[in-house]
Amino acid sequence: MSQPLVLGIETSCDETAVGIVRGRTLLANVIASSVEEHARFGGVVPEIASRAHLEAMQPTIANALVDAKVSLKDIDAIAVTAGPGLVGALLVGVGSAAGLALGLDKPIYAVNHLAAHISVDYLTHDKDLEPTIALLVSGGHSSLLQVDDITSSITKLGQTIDDAAGEAFDKIARVMKLSFPGGPAIDLLAKDGSASAIDFPRGLTTSNDWQTRPYDFSFSGLKTAVARYLENVPDYVRADVAASFQEAIVDVLLLKSLAACKESGIDSLVIAGGVAANSRLRAVAAARCEKVGIRLRIPAPALCTDNGAMVASLGALMVAAHRPPSPVAFDADSSLPVGVISLS
Amino acid sequence: MTISLAIDTSTSRTLVAIIKDGTVLWSGFRDGATEHGPALPALVQEGIKGFEISEVVVGMGPGPYTGLRIGIAFAQSFALARAIPVRGVCSLDAIAAQVNETEFIITVDARRKEVYWARYSNGARVGQPSVNFPADVSGATIYPDLYPDLKALVALPGNITEPIYLRRPDAIATADRR
Repeated sequence: MSQPLVLGIETSCDETAVGIVRGRTLLANVIASSVEEHARFGGVVPEIASRAHLEAMQPTIANALVDAKVSLKDIDAIAVTAGPGLVGALLVGVGSAAGLALGLDKPIYAVNHLAAHISVDYLTHDKDLEPTIALLVSGGHSSLLQVDDITSSITKLGQTIDDAAGEAFDKIARVMKLSFPGGPAIDLLAKDGSASAIDFPRGLTTSNDWQTRPYDFSFSGLKTAVARYLENVPDYVRADVAASFQEAIVDVLLLKSLAACKESGIDSLVIAGGVAANSRLRAVAAARCEKVGIRLRIPAPALCTDNGAMVASLGALMVAAHRPPSPVAFDADSSLPVGVISLS
Repeated sequence: MTISLAIDTSTSRTLVAIIKDGTVLWSGFRDGATEHGPALPALVQEGIKGFEISEVVVGMGPGPYTGLRIGIAFAQSFALARAIPVRGVCSLDAIAAQVNETEFIITVDARRKEVYWARYSNGARVGQPSVNFPADVSGATIYPDLYPDLKALVALPGNITEPIYLRRPDAIATADRR
């Protein structure tokens, strides 16, 4: 068989996304976002997202097929995000994917959203990094993982004990009256500020934390510290607050990622998820990894945020590795653990 | 000759049938208010064996949203994959078709202690479906515990393209929060 042609569907949050890949070649990556409908609520409203998914699904599939210049009947397998995510949102994708799979009489791969985020990196490289440490940072997740095989073995080293990194960006943006989502807004504002102007706390980095939970993250203390600073310093410099807040997050994410590399003896790091699109994180990661000889990969910004290409990519890797498909009847799992790469 | 794949997920029962020109060739269901996700593909996989499906007809509600959307999303994608037409109809009408009375009301659970309902007179729906508290629904015999009849669903005319939600999404704008 030539390289498998896989269509991937992603609806775990507010992006209705369909990607098509042939093996490791990206053919289409179409995203319909309902983010503007959520902006005035300061966060994603599940029912609004779910309604938007159903409305956007058919046009998004059609656009992806046009972009990829393929016909549905040529598709070898369907892949879909089974979790984690908003259950009502996930189920629109799951229903659509099952309909396609049964309609086409083709196998379905019900895959893990987090593993898919990492797997998108495989689209841009021929050689695998495995084993690799992976930092997954988004609006819903902040995890440090060890990937021995993207299709069969991902181990969680640590994760956030409160807010996700992207959530912290959103919350601080809201306090500073910046737009939603907060990540891009703070990234932009921070370019005019000093990252060392204010010494905001780095969560879980005391010597005791390094002993007991070296790879866990905490961002709620940082959030409180920024909010208090804004209250106590009425004439604060907005750009400095943004830059210093961003620096605190970037610093702690990379401290822990590089510690995981060192401790495990793995000299490779992948950073994925929406926050991986942050320009400061990308720049500081490149500098620090080069300094200690760690090979760094970060997908292009458009492939960091939620997308369908990543789901298709993981599906294609599963096909190539001869992993069994999922049963066509399965349920979405809003809290699917990262170790479960696909449902069996 | 038309062989229809009929689907309804607007109630706690996931219903699937294969209907050829008014004759039910296969039918199946599974109960469970949160079971539509796995139940629907399982039923369809079993039901379509050996049949050349030429159209899909799906209940567009009203009904609890998450389950309802699974049926619609599935129906649209299945039809796309087979390059066959898909048609949406009112699920309450497919329930009402089973009742042999001149004046009556159909209700289904709408969660939050409310019901979706519609009034029927001489075999036709009077006005649009609504959502209200049960205490506010009266004026004729109420049939609260029925499920859609898929043979009737397929026989319904028209094509509803949007889900029948009847409520706006719950959300409070940041500016209105206290």
